[in-house]
Amino acid sequence: MKFFFKIILKYYLKYITKTVLFLHQPKIVAVCGSINKTFVRDEIVRNFKKEKKSIRANPKNFNTEIGLPLAILNVSSGYNSYRGWISPIIEALKAVFQKKFPKYLVLEFGISQKGDMKYLLSIVSPKIFVITDITQRYVELFSGMDELFEEYEYLAEKISKNDWLVLNYDNIKIRELAKRTLAKVVSFGEQNFSSEWRIAKIEKNPQGQKVSISYQGKEKKYQLNRFGKHHAFALVASLAVKNIRI
Amino acid sequence: MFDRTKNLRLSVIKQMEIMATQFPDTISLAQGVPGFDTPECIKRRVEKALQEKVVAKYSLSPGIPELRELIEIKLARDNMFYDWEKEIIVTAGSIEGITATILTITNPGDEIIVPDPTYTSYREVILLSGCQPVFVSLNEQKGWAFELKKFEEAITSRTKAIFYCNPNNPTGTTYSREQLLSLAELARKHNLFLLSDEVYKDFIFPPRSERIFSLAEIPELRKRVIRFFSFSKSYAMTGWRVGYLHSDESVIREIIKVHDSLVTCAPVISQYAAMGALEMAQKEVINFNKEYAEKRDFVCQKFDEMKNFFSYIKPQSAYYIFPKIIKKEISMGFPEEKSFSWRFSKWILEETHVAVVPGIAFGENGEDHIRINFGRNQKGLEEALKRIKKFLQKQKLV
Repeated sequence: MKFFFKIILKYYLKYITKTVLFLHQPKIVAVCGSINKTFVRDEIVRNFKKEKKSIRANPKNFNTEIGLPLAILNVSSGYNSYRGWISPIIEALKAVFQKKFPKYLVLEFGISQKGDMKYLLSIVSPKIFVITDITQRYVELFSGMDELFEEYEYLAEKISKNDWLVLNYDNIKIRELAKRTLAKVVSFGEQNFSSEWRIAKIEKNPQGQKVSISYQGKEKKYQLNRFGKHHAFALVASLAVKNIRI
Repeated sequence: MFDRTKNLRLSVIKQMEIMATQFPDTISLAQGVPGFDTPECIKRRVEKALQEKVVAKYSLSPGIPELRELIEIKLARDNMFYDWEKEIIVTAGSIEGITATILTITNPGDEIIVPDPTYTSYREVILLSGCQPVFVSLNEQKGWAFELKKFEEAITSRTKAIFYCNPNNPTGTTYSREQLLSLAELARKHNLFLLSDEVYKDFIFPPRSERIFSLAEIPELRKRVIRFFSFSKSYAMTGWRVGYLHSDESVIREIIKVHDSLVTCAPVISQYAAMGALEMAQKEVINFNKEYAEKRDFVCQKFDEMKNFFSYIKPQSAYYIFPKIIKKEISMGFPEEKSFSWRFSKWILEETHVAVVPGIAFGENGEDHIRINFGRNQKGLEEALKRIKKFLQKQKLV
């Protein structure tokens, strides 16, 4: 019963979402990878908001086959309660008729099992994909790291030449994706000197950290009130996205 | 033999619970457990983890990365900025985090200043670590506030930390921002750690609406403040034994060694439950808070009806009320007990079959009080307070 309900719900949300996206044509930035998606997403949103762009991002962890459509439709989840789903199902339908829709969507892609990427790409067609990093995390439901990487290889091959891949060049396997795609590639990282956007230096201070970012031979310093290298990565990835005109 | 444990005592709360078992119709308002079951969404998150076969192995010692990321995000919402990779440890309940911390920051013979009254287990953990608790009384007239002068007077060359609970258990009161900042200044002056146990911080009762301030919000205090939180109270998860602590990287990299020696990692299944809590259960926390606020009002109303016997400070948080017994000329028996609050609690238990905690359990300054957990179910709470009132009326005490 639960299985069939989930299947029906999944396709119901999928087709409503596709309709909404067709009607409003928002420009989509997708953030995928095993780690740091939320921080990268938040940093991208912050930059877009600074530029007064109308934008929406997925709340919490709404990034999977059910969660992603809910995020796009701006509808809450019923989680695992049948009764809890009544309202989201109605709200989802109403979303088709909403007049105000953001011009930009920043969406996390949660890839935790084989075929997830293909399914999510069957719902949305992002203009920009950021791949934060790919690690052992979320590998449990795959046969191994190779099968997990196949998801990203599928993405690299599928993405059109007019779209963008923003890649973390510190990860050699991610770097190799650049060779498998026709899309335009922008790179970021810390250790790899061939990265276009590179973290040159991180200095911790009591207020957070000062991050020096180098791009085209110039260095610029940013003071973050957050601690941890992942915020420096979120910053550099978001700057790479900000520089792309879509 | 047993040198390390000979001065430890079984928690008075647990002793009361054991005594209460002799009466089958006992209503216990003693142990600090919430009156709710763990929210369904949390259980379902655990079911999913079980199905995915991800709970059978150890996690990394500081905890599952996804959970620590969620914790970082939650902390940032409360204006506390900590790096999930290096500054957050998921613990087996907050008490394990507290134990690991005290073992890390002290040497045997060191002293830790603890406000009095406060949570009973602090004394035991400090003694177990080979240290000495130094109790400093809070001012009941000022709503159980710190008296900074008393804290300063208690500091010696052996003092390593000030360890407080905010909101405070058993009083249900909170320390103001000004009080905490003064305490921080004192800690800075004497180079002390500040251990802040904030397990009740998600509960805030009217008229207060602003969230509870934490010293962990002040970036300059990062290396001095070690903050503890537990999922037990906010999410009704006492049995899952999961919590976390956070501080600056320089402190955490030492605590993690002790945490690893004690438990390797927090129970992985409970870490998934904690993820469910942070991902999905915020609505439940709001509902719990609403119910506790209503129960707080109810219990205060009942104590108002007994105001010539009890006085109390209205709780602003947690789910405890700590009324003072103002009529002490009572013949209760139990001459073997030196403490008045012990005698009173035993008397109430024997006569009404309602278990409460004697105030002495929380320190000498808690004497003459009893602690009541009003977080239990409404029916039981009503019946327990009815029994107490009826009994005291019969004794012509109210």
